[in-house]
Amino acid sequence: MAALDDWQGRLEETALGPVRRTGRRFWAVVVILLAIIGWGGYAYTVQLSEGLVVTGMRDRISWGLYIATFVFFIGISHAGTLISAILRVSNARWRTPVTRMAEFVTVVALVCGASFVIIDLGRPDRLLNVFFYGRWQSPIIWDVLAITTYLTASVTYLFVPMIPDLALFRDRLAGRSSRWRGWLYRTLAIGWRGRPAQRRSLGSAIGVLMILIIPIAVSVHTVVSWIFAMTMRVPWDSALFGAFFVAGAIFSGIAILIIVMAILRRAYHLEEYVTEKHFVYLGYLMAAFAAIMIYANISELLVLGYKLQEGVEFHFRQLFLADFAPLFWFYLLGGLVAPIVIALAPATRNVRGMVAAAILVTLAMWIERYFIVVTGLRVPLMPYEPASYAPTWVEWSLLAAGLAAFALLITVFTKVFPIIAVWEVAEDHEATAAHAGAGEPVGAIPVAGVVVATAGPRLAEEGGR
Amino acid sequence: MKVITRRSARTVIGLLASLAIIAAVAGPAIASHVDVSVTNVGEVAVGETVAIPVALRTTNGTPLAGTVVTFYLHMAFAGVEGEAQIGRVVTDASGVASLAYRPRLAGHHELRMEYVAAGGTDIESTTTVIEVTGGAQLYHSPAGVDVPGVGVELLMVVLATVWTILFWVVLRIVAIARAGGEAGDAGLEARR
Repeated sequence: MAALDDWQGRLEETALGPVRRTGRRFWAVVVILLAIIGWGGYAYTVQLSEGLVVTGMRDRISWGLYIATFVFFIGISHAGTLISAILRVSNARWRTPVTRMAEFVTVVALVCGASFVIIDLGRPDRLLNVFFYGRWQSPIIWDVLAITTYLTASVTYLFVPMIPDLALFRDRLAGRSSRWRGWLYRTLAIGWRGRPAQRRSLGSAIGVLMILIIPIAVSVHTVVSWIFAMTMRVPWDSALFGAFFVAGAIFSGIAILIIVMAILRRAYHLEEYVTEKHFVYLGYLMAAFAAIMIYANISELLVLGYKLQEGVEFHFRQLFLADFAPLFWFYLLGGLVAPIVIALAPATRNVRGMVAAAILVTLAMWIERYFIVVTGLRVPLMPYEPASYAPTWVEWSLLAAGLAAFALLITVFTKVFPIIAVWEVAEDHEATAAHAGAGEPVGAIPVAGVVVATAGPRLAEEGGR
Repeated sequence: MKVITRRSARTVIGLLASLAIIAAVAGPAIASHVDVSVTNVGEVAVGETVAIPVALRTTNGTPLAGTVVTFYLHMAFAGVEGEAQIGRVVTDASGVASLAYRPRLAGHHELRMEYVAAGGTDIESTTTVIEVTGGAQLYHSPAGVDVPGVGVELLMVVLATVWTILFWVVLRIVAIARAGGEAGDAGLEARR
């Protein structure tokens, strides 16, 4: 029992660590990220004042880096859905230390992704036209509805399981942190005391959300794919696009989660909770999705190539042999085949190997989004020379700013909110200990298929005071 | 003196001939042997169908039936200006060719009507102006296959269901706050 208390005390200290201590390295990272965002802000003012002519986009290739990055960000937002929802539904207990990070990634990626659509508009005020003149028949409207719903559900899904941990922060940091922090935790903890009625409500809310968020997430990326598939362009003329995009989204979501996990694990010394096992398990999932992506690519390319409708030959040439061949072959070999080899080879089945594979996948998936967008528009619709597209410094600057904003928001989140789902990890540990005969489960109440341990007995004690 | 008179007479004749040619080419409706009248339709709204009648008669008042009248609209789009043919109508027994026209853009519309009078070879024309008001969006794509029950309503039902479930989750959060009992106290503390 004492060992369990010690372990839980260490867990709570680890969760509170990032909030209690802020070193110079953190501020250095923040300054660098703010500088990149500032540069991106300058590039955006140039675009606002001079128009989209400062980008490489023109009449024939009217989508480029911005839309590719939008699709990429929406894709990685599936990290939270997969890790937190699907693994929660399937009761995979190993998920608990990484669920919170996955949910952070989801919310932040959605915010960053949506901003790229506004950047792509050129004139942000025209976003209102979607509401003033939007038509239900347009996939753009479906996309706005799906992403808005997903963002709302994701924020809720991030918040609800965090309530007991916010209460822990409220109680542990009372009088020992700044006033705004005290106010924030008191407000967000919404009076959590770990009472049975509260646990029941929490359990049922999580139970419903984890089921609901899966079809919403699937619908989001399906609808994003339809923006392409429902446009009269030969390379996008595919019924497979929805499933292809969803698989790609989960694939890239796992990759970015592995990278975020590795960085936070090192920065906040989470080695005891985020272990090699988590990286390897996620690596296996990534390899499985790589196999699905290989299958989807073969299916897509073989069907298109067999029929070879007008324009497909040009498209295949640009992908396999000409302008986009280096990117495409890197995507196929570096982004799909190599991660499977890395995840399955015993020598590389470790944290470093999985992070390397995740970096390859992240790069490859961004590249895939890029050539889906650009090569699709490049195929000539009439017998004229194909158009060309090269992103300008403005587009690269805004891409860098978007990635920096993603990193900054994650960094800030870790300094304000619990990065580990303390009560879930504690419950998992207690259950494991009980199973091993080393102790008994304490404070664990099964509710609606979810065992809610209320951040362990300490939180219950705090509530009793 | 005779030479001067002859030269003056030639100059005058030349000037008159030039004026006649200019008037024939550039005049709005020089229908030397045809009387043209276009009924002014005045102001119309975008999307409203309006009839533009053109009446052709001979100089002695006989209606010119069976004459093809081609209607052109002066347009400017993406830096290019020109005329777009918007219809061809044959004059009826009373010599009237009436085009049903549905303006798609608001503004000042200049129309030119061209015809070749029966028995003639020269193309003659006349013009009219329509002022179009409003800003309605006219384009509505028709559904390819209208499957009963599959449409916008279904999308709305799905969306409403999802948001209802989300609202239910919010009610659970409210229930957590109420069960805590001290949520209100926390708020009071914060205000202090």
